[in-house]
Amino acid sequence: MVADTHPEQPALTPGSSRKTAQQPPPQAVMGLLNYITETSLDEDYAQVSEQRRRSGEVTPRRRPGTVGMAVLAVFGVLVATAAVQTSRNADQSASSRASLVSQVNARADVLDRQRTTAQELQREITALGDAQLAATTEGRSLESRLNRLGVLTGATAARGPGVRVVVDDAPGAKSPKFMVQAPDLQKLANGLWTVGAEAIAVNGQRLTSLSAIRDAGSAITVNYVSLRPPYTVSAIGNPKRMGADLLDTSGGQTWATLQSFGLKFDVNTEDNMLLPAAKRVAFRYAHEPERRP
Amino acid sequence: MIAAIGLLIGLLAGLLLQPDVPIWLEPYLPIAVVAALDAVFGALRAFLDGIFDDKVFVVSFVSNVLIAALIVYLGDKLGVGGQLSTGVIVVLGIRIFSNVAAIRRHIFHA
Repeated sequence: MVADTHPEQPALTPGSSRKTAQQPPPQAVMGLLNYITETSLDEDYAQVSEQRRRSGEVTPRRRPGTVGMAVLAVFGVLVATAAVQTSRNADQSASSRASLVSQVNARADVLDRQRTTAQELQREITALGDAQLAATTEGRSLESRLNRLGVLTGATAARGPGVRVVVDDAPGAKSPKFMVQAPDLQKLANGLWTVGAEAIAVNGQRLTSLSAIRDAGSAITVNYVSLRPPYTVSAIGNPKRMGADLLDTSGGQTWATLQSFGLKFDVNTEDNMLLPAAKRVAFRYAHEPERRP
Repeated sequence: MIAAIGLLIGLLAGLLLQPDVPIWLEPYLPIAVVAALDAVFGALRAFLDGIFDDKVFVVSFVSNVLIAALIVYLGDKLGVGGQLSTGVIVVLGIRIFSNVAAIRRHIFHA
């Protein structure tokens, strides 16, 4: 739809549009985009050649002369300079990116070092706190109370004898009926609490009063961490009685039924187990205990 | 022929000398190149139309480059530099496309 601009097209040359003053100029009626495409060739070319034809100058085909050559040389310099400049800038941005990457790495190293320092300091604080507590009689009784509470709440790691229950899906299980579900694990954990477990961990995730064993999609999460079967439920307590007592609880009976479906349910006693501390017990509510006079 | 030689000389000179662009001129160089490209394609079309004129070419080239740079400069001062450059590029791009279309018609008669 691009039309050639012929010199005899009267509406498009400014000189002729001035002659027919009654008609509005083309840019007023054509719309901007059409006007741009119609007048994409500079009107001056047409006008100059018109003038030349009128004055009777006869030149069959005009070619660029020295001036045109000079202008084209300038154009060449412009293009080459722009290209060189762009590639130079690209080098610059690449090097600045590299320096950013090295900065990020350096900062990550600093962060790692500071984390290590923080861990060392935390250990030092614990050691100093223990030493302080061990120094006085009152402190020693406080310390034993702290240890007892720490084991019960999951705030500290727990070591001792107990039972290790390993449960797993039935081999080649396709339907959820033959797989371990979160409620099954919940019943097992509750059964272990019932028979006197002091501390329980599922696949290394310590159960606290704030822990939840839940289905999340196809995985079971404990403490918001997704676990994969087989599930190892470790419980510290009396190893001689816990295993037998567990089968008498409702959780143990559930698992006896599940075992008949083909699910794995192994109870072993352990002489010494180490259950890790819960990741962090976030205090949501606390108050100062009343002081006895 | 003479035009091709001029273009070649300019390109070689630019590549060999690699002139340093002053930092204040740097934002206007790309738009100046696009404006110059428009003038060059216009000249080529005029040449094929048989109405080429050296003086018109020089004037259109210089004025295109200067006006394009001026518009971008003005836009930078007004805080709409990016948008104005886009506008200039769109207009010059349309002109280049329609000029190249006319050149194509001249060369291939299609």
